[in-house]
Amino acid sequence: MRFQDAARDARTVVYAGIQADPLVARAGSLLAGATTAERLLARAAMNGERTDPEVWRRMFPALFGEGPGGGAGPEPARRAHAEAVLAVSLEIADRGEAARSSFRGATVEELTARLLARRAGPDAPVRRERRVLFDGVRAEIHPYDVTVESAERPEVYDCKWGARGINADVLEQLDDARGHAADEEIELDVAIVVFDAERSCRLRLERSTANRAGTRVVALESLDELGERP
Amino acid sequence: MNDRTVVLERAARAYRDLADLAEGVEDEWQYVTDLVDAYLPAILALAGAKDGRATSDVETAAVDEAIAEIALIADPHKAIDWLSTFPHVIALALGGDVDSAPGGHRADGGRDVPAGAGGETAAEPDEDSPFRMLGGWR
Repeated sequence: MRFQDAARDARTVVYAGIQADPLVARAGSLLAGATTAERLLARAAMNGERTDPEVWRRMFPALFGEGPGGGAGPEPARRAHAEAVLAVSLEIADRGEAARSSFRGATVEELTARLLARRAGPDAPVRRERRVLFDGVRAEIHPYDVTVESAERPEVYDCKWGARGINADVLEQLDDARGHAADEEIELDVAIVVFDAERSCRLRLERSTANRAGTRVVALESLDELGERP
Repeated sequence: MNDRTVVLERAARAYRDLADLAEGVEDEWQYVTDLVDAYLPAILALAGAKDGRATSDVETAAVDEAIAEIALIADPHKAIDWLSTFPHVIALALGGDVDSAPGGHRADGGRDVPAGAGGETAAEPDEDSPFRMLGGWR
């Protein structure tokens, strides 16, 4: 088994430009240091109709105003972070309906890579847009969004903006990769990272008949687990 | 009927309208139905969270702002996204107090709360948390 850069066609070249946009890097960095509530704010605001920040501050009083039950609000540093998350999220929303979905997807990938990088090292580099080749197996068409290329225990990640992105094709590809690696006596960790509520992911998975027993699903509430060994 | 129930019934009505719009995506009818079956009762059950105490003006305004946001949606695909997001926004607005903060801390809403003495980092929702109720943990 070995990793390989994905072939670049016109679509991937355009998308690579979005992935390299400083806005995506800033969003990924802020979300890596965010609380679950701030990530929920980002999900809502990036997909919102309105870009007036005051609307979102009113909608999330726990982040910008009083705490639950009218208690004390967030600490100044935490509130400042929430403001930064809101600002970057609205900047993405402001890109327009067509572009924002690409920016959102690229942001989830960037966030995933940054969280994984917390435990990565020279012997397990985090890479992007990589395919996995197995002996005697036809190469997969779609590259993995993020990989951790450890010789001892490699990992591949597919990233999704929403639970709706979980489908049979994705689950089958991940499960096939895990199986092919096992044929080569390599333990490959496979996972889907979903920037959506864990319960929605569960609902989506419950209807799927695809093999997924060995596939981990990392939802919005558990993203920080990416920084720990699976 | 207290104002907490009234606010949540308003949210539930808005959620049903959003689901009607989302059903326009025929391929996702089952997923839309599953989301509504799971989250609609969960939204209404938030009336019992926090001992059913009355909502503050700020909490009511937050819920109404979320309702206003989803009322603006015209795209059924975006409606599906919001069917998953809206209930959690409502839960947080009404006192969701479970969060995973960076650095192994629990956070209460947006406020950091040190992790327990045992050194655990996973935030366990309290029994009465709207977040917990919405997540289907009880």
